[in-house]
Amino acid sequence: MLQPDDLVDPSRRNLFSWVCSVDHKRIGIMYMLLAVFFLLVGGVEALLIRAQLAVPKNDLVSPQMFNQLFTLHGTTMVFLVGMPVFTGFSNFIVPLMIGAKDVAFPRLNAMSFWMLPFGAVLLYFSFFTGSAPDAGWFSYAPLSTKPFSSLPGVDYWIIGLAVMGIGSISGAINIVATVMCCRAPGMSMQRVPLFVWIMFMQAILIVITIPPLNSAISMLLIDRVLGAAFFEPARGGSALLWQHFFWMFGHPEVYVFALPAFAIVSEVIPVFSRKPIYGYAFVAGSSTIIVLLSYTVWAHHMFAVGLGMGPNIFFAAATLLIALPTGVKIFNWTATLWGGSIRFTTAMLFAIAFLIQFVVGGLTGIMFATVPVDWQLTDTYFVVAHFHYVLVGGIVFSLFAATYYWFPKISGRMLSERLGKLQFWLWLIGFNATFGIQHLLGLMGMPRRVYTYDDNPGWALCNGISSAGAVFMAAGTLVLVWNILKSIKSGAVAGDNPWEGFTLEWGTTSPPPLENFEELPEIKSRRPVWDADHPDLADWKTEKTPEDRGHRPAAAKVAAWSFVISEAIFFILLLVSYVVFNSGDEIEGPTAETALDVSRTGIFTFILLSSSLTFWIAERCLRKDKIGGFKLWLGLTILLGCVFIGGQVWEYSGLFSNGITVNRNLFASTFFTVTGFHGLHVTGGIIVLGIMFMLGRLGYLTSKRTHVFAAVGVYWHFVDVVWIAVFSIIYLDVFK
Amino acid sequence: MSTFPLLQPASPEAQAIFDLFIMVVLISLGIFVVVTGLIVIALWRGKAKSDTPKQEFGSSKSEIFWMTGPILILIWIFVITTKLILTTNAVPKIQPTDATHELELHVTGHQWWWEIQYGDSSIVGANEIHLPTGTKIRVKIESADVIHSFWIPQLARKMDAIPGHPNYIWLQATKEGVYEGRCAEYCGTQHTWMKFKVFVTSPEEYEKWKQEAIAAGKTTATQVAKTAPAAQDAASKNAKLSTKEAGRAIFMEEGCINCHALEGLSTPSIGPSLTRISDRAIIGAGVLKNSQENLGRWLKDPQKYKPGCKMPDFNLTDEQVKQLVTFLWSP
Amino acid sequence: MMLIPELWNWASLVWLAIGIILLVYFVTFKNVKPMQRFALGLGLAFMAIAFVSPIGYLAKGYVFSAHMIQHLLMLLIVPLCFILALPKQRVSSWFSDTPKPRLAKTLVMAGWLGGVGAMWFWHVPTFCSVSTQNASLGLLRDSSFLLAGLVFWWPIFGPLESTRLSPPSGIIYLFSACLGCTLLGIYITFTNSTVCPIFAGSADSLGVMSKLQAAGFTPMVDQNLGGLLMWVPPCSLYVGAIISLLCRWYKVLDPESVPSPVVGDHEPAHLV
Repeated sequence: MLQPDDLVDPSRRNLFSWVCSVDHKRIGIMYMLLAVFFLLVGGVEALLIRAQLAVPKNDLVSPQMFNQLFTLHGTTMVFLVGMPVFTGFSNFIVPLMIGAKDVAFPRLNAMSFWMLPFGAVLLYFSFFTGSAPDAGWFSYAPLSTKPFSSLPGVDYWIIGLAVMGIGSISGAINIVATVMCCRAPGMSMQRVPLFVWIMFMQAILIVITIPPLNSAISMLLIDRVLGAAFFEPARGGSALLWQHFFWMFGHPEVYVFALPAFAIVSEVIPVFSRKPIYGYAFVAGSSTIIVLLSYTVWAHHMFAVGLGMGPNIFFAAATLLIALPTGVKIFNWTATLWGGSIRFTTAMLFAIAFLIQFVVGGLTGIMFATVPVDWQLTDTYFVVAHFHYVLVGGIVFSLFAATYYWFPKISGRMLSERLGKLQFWLWLIGFNATFGIQHLLGLMGMPRRVYTYDDNPGWALCNGISSAGAVFMAAGTLVLVWNILKSIKSGAVAGDNPWEGFTLEWGTTSPPPLENFEELPEIKSRRPVWDADHPDLADWKTEKTPEDRGHRPAAAKVAAWSFVISEAIFFILLLVSYVVFNSGDEIEGPTAETALDVSRTGIFTFILLSSSLTFWIAERCLRKDKIGGFKLWLGLTILLGCVFIGGQVWEYSGLFSNGITVNRNLFASTFFTVTGFHGLHVTGGIIVLGIMFMLGRLGYLTSKRTHVFAAVGVYWHFVDVVWIAVFSIIYLDVFK
Repeated sequence: MSTFPLLQPASPEAQAIFDLFIMVVLISLGIFVVVTGLIVIALWRGKAKSDTPKQEFGSSKSEIFWMTGPILILIWIFVITTKLILTTNAVPKIQPTDATHELELHVTGHQWWWEIQYGDSSIVGANEIHLPTGTKIRVKIESADVIHSFWIPQLARKMDAIPGHPNYIWLQATKEGVYEGRCAEYCGTQHTWMKFKVFVTSPEEYEKWKQEAIAAGKTTATQVAKTAPAAQDAASKNAKLSTKEAGRAIFMEEGCINCHALEGLSTPSIGPSLTRISDRAIIGAGVLKNSQENLGRWLKDPQKYKPGCKMPDFNLTDEQVKQLVTFLWSP
Repeated sequence: MMLIPELWNWASLVWLAIGIILLVYFVTFKNVKPMQRFALGLGLAFMAIAFVSPIGYLAKGYVFSAHMIQHLLMLLIVPLCFILALPKQRVSSWFSDTPKPRLAKTLVMAGWLGGVGAMWFWHVPTFCSVSTQNASLGLLRDSSFLLAGLVFWWPIFGPLESTRLSPPSGIIYLFSACLGCTLLGIYITFTNSTVCPIFAGSADSLGVMSKLQAAGFTPMVDQNLGGLLMWVPPCSLYVGAIISLLCRWYKVLDPESVPSPVVGDHEPAHLV
């Protein structure tokens, strides 16, 4: 097998070698550079917003422009800064920390990365069409539907997000597979550094949190392009369904950002306190709990939509509950500091500021969990202040900590501490001035997303301070960029372990060689490098951790299962929308009962399900190296799949000839959406099976490579299981 | 107009929410002081150290000990939250017959203004609500287009106006005065200027306002009817037209009539009703104070004051503007 | 309301079941630890509450949320208590020491499908109404809940180490079960159609219903509450169980006591 970067001579430092690279470190760096670029873009957008709001009744930008600015600011910061920068750190650091040579799927990794700039171009291309998206980063329907946003901005937003979403999911699947399958001997799952464990949790969260967004945006796109009415109440759709789906993605997304911040701080604080993390199991376990609970709190973004008291109480409880695992972490970080010998490096300063500012953001979060207070404060500047304390005061500060902490490992050179401290103070002052004062603005009743305001008493002063603070942050960012440029050229040489770090990445050279490690230290605890540096105080002597039992699952299968879980959520939500729109009493026009031929589709269902059986037999043949039987049964599987697709074409053409198209009514919209996406998945499956067939014919598939084929099988069986659900819900109508 | 409307409640509901808010703020301050204090002490103590400290790995007991406090606090917050939810939320929807609400208010959000209908009379207004003190009023909140949010910080909770999903809240003011309200959910280009005013008066004064408004509505209708034949007649003899009649002609011919209601003449609600516009306090849902001069300025070029709003610039001449203002302003 | 004597069904058949369980338990197991005895007592007490207290009365076709509480007690709480009441050594001695991957796998499948399936199956509108009206079907339903609950908790807290799931797999098992309940709970909470028609607008001989409805507790509110009950308490319980699994996972120290992985290679649940 080709090794990563065999294709490109590593000594070549030209641009082409970066573009073609499949080395996790280079891809990690590219992720970070992309994020820095868009941090500057999103930052400029934020500066324009603050400039417009600096004085009352300002007319620096037009209202349309202002709305585009805050839409793009939000979208950029979430999808083009937050997601890539942490994926970048994860990509660079995780394989090093677990002693792996690379991620599990280096080529997939490169693809995941390149999806991002592609999506970014789509998003920003909307500017050239004269209409950047302006419905907010949340694109609430019906504002984002065709009647109220007729220009193509929202379409670019949807397609850009879909492309970036594919990249994020595949990147996350890669991290999941890497952590599960590529750990060095001795590194049991309970011994991975907290950064690895929490990024593992974050990757799982990405896998399950992007699908609701994909469901929502595909429905919105079908609304906008094909004339369906999922989100148009005037034609029977639901304005609230979008919010449910969007926040089912949107709230876990907050944890997609918060978890990496926790991960970074859980490395930085112990190292600069010269102590191990206090309560490893609690920090790790609480991250797991956060992943599980983050899926149950979405509607706290919707307390003001009138859900009724039951859901309000439930989501209040869930939201308060999720504060506990976060509280556990704060306690453990404080306990780690306690009794440590603290080194106030720039990284540590940012980590400490993170801790305090995150507590502020968390406490205002509790205020929003008390529903009646939320009724007053939501959609004011108080909520802007709240989430910027979490996202900027917490997460961006942790990001700076990570930058100063790992830059020596990434580049081999130290960042200037003097400039670093300058940046720290600029940001500390700027951030708290900008967003601290916004709490007051919120209490003054200033709403979010307004392009200007009346000269009410106090508003001009507070907004002025807020805008002035933004200048400090901008200056701080320039200092950082200058610091990086200067340090790459002439910074002090870092050496292997400049911070006396504990974890494996400090056990190799800076920057690490292509294969990461020439020699791995023995892994007997959570801090192998500490053990090597302090043989007398080695962790394994005092703190026993579960031994590695050497079990590593096949990466292809882990990836297939993760992908299938992600797809399952996508289909569940589409089916939910089917049930929502078809369980009502009266639907005008065709319904499942009147339009569908259940018995005919029943036969095709049988055909599709039998293809699972033939696949299973093919897999058994392959395992026994009976290539002839393998080809026969696989060919039959493909044939059955094609027959099913043929049946679907037959059904569709019958419906079309009766005038039942996707824009006819909500039954038709949901029916075509669900079965259409399923048909696409079957088609994709047939293509993959075709490739497998060709590989079998060429002799590449042997009994030793069954796990690849088994991974394809996971997908193929999944498609069949989805069809069982589709058939029973749509054709058999079990919900009526 | 108060500087901190969220901290100056003027209704029992807003007061209850305010009390809860203060409670939670105090709890949060307490937690903040404790956590920051511990962090600062830890940093202070660790500042001077340079030796390798004792390697502690944590203990389950101390974790559980430290988490009992937060757990109890959260349970307490949950209890007081639930109590307030049960007393304020959702009740109007479930029990329309409960409590005294002879007056029901029907509020409809439009891009970008508020339509106000009074359940106890035929009055239809825009961007202004008149309320008597003391009475508990059920408000039905709807939307004609996208999602808006109805919010009067000093009087009641925020409630979204969602197309196809009517919501209900209670509204009860204890103190007389003028309160600011606005749309709180982003609803498109001119979300910024989607404000309204709430005039709370004594029940007697409210009754007086109501009778006057009904009477004024009727007057408008008769006036409009009266000028009608004259206007039609006069259309041929332009010169003899009175300013008011000319204004009426413009209203009919320039297309105002297609979007705006005027009692006795038209009923559409694409734009706000113009009946009794001289009584209003604001123009363009808050972008200008109402006066004859400002109304004229607005009519001259609405897009200048509220760019992107649904009212196009009709390129009226100064003369036409004056005629239209006179027509709209007269009873 | 608790004070109305007619709401208490002191003559319930459940006493008989409790008697039999007590008898069987103490005949089979000798020298039971106090904690296990306590778990058994708790389980039986919950069983009694489910049928003897007003919950039992209201669940008979009057209040949907009471009906849901009864289900949750029978499906989740009572079986969990019973499982915890089983003495480890005595039960282990019934089986040979050899690992039984096939049995374990079957139990996991049966447990998951039973636990989630029982909830879904008995809330199909037809079955829901019929089992509420017909006493013998009701008995079948309640015993199927108990049985499904026992099989559901077995791979997590079962006394037999060799048939337990490894903690990471257990977390996935519980989390996916939680999603299963959540979906149904969300559906019941947010849907506008009536899930179990028999509970919509029923009147009872004691006039409790009319009092409840007068107080704003309409059938729709009742159904919302029922949906939330199906959603929140089970998920909280599962999260609690997940926490206990995490504790177990991080405490495992010596490789000898590690519960051997029981799930085969092509299971999704197999993480580590």
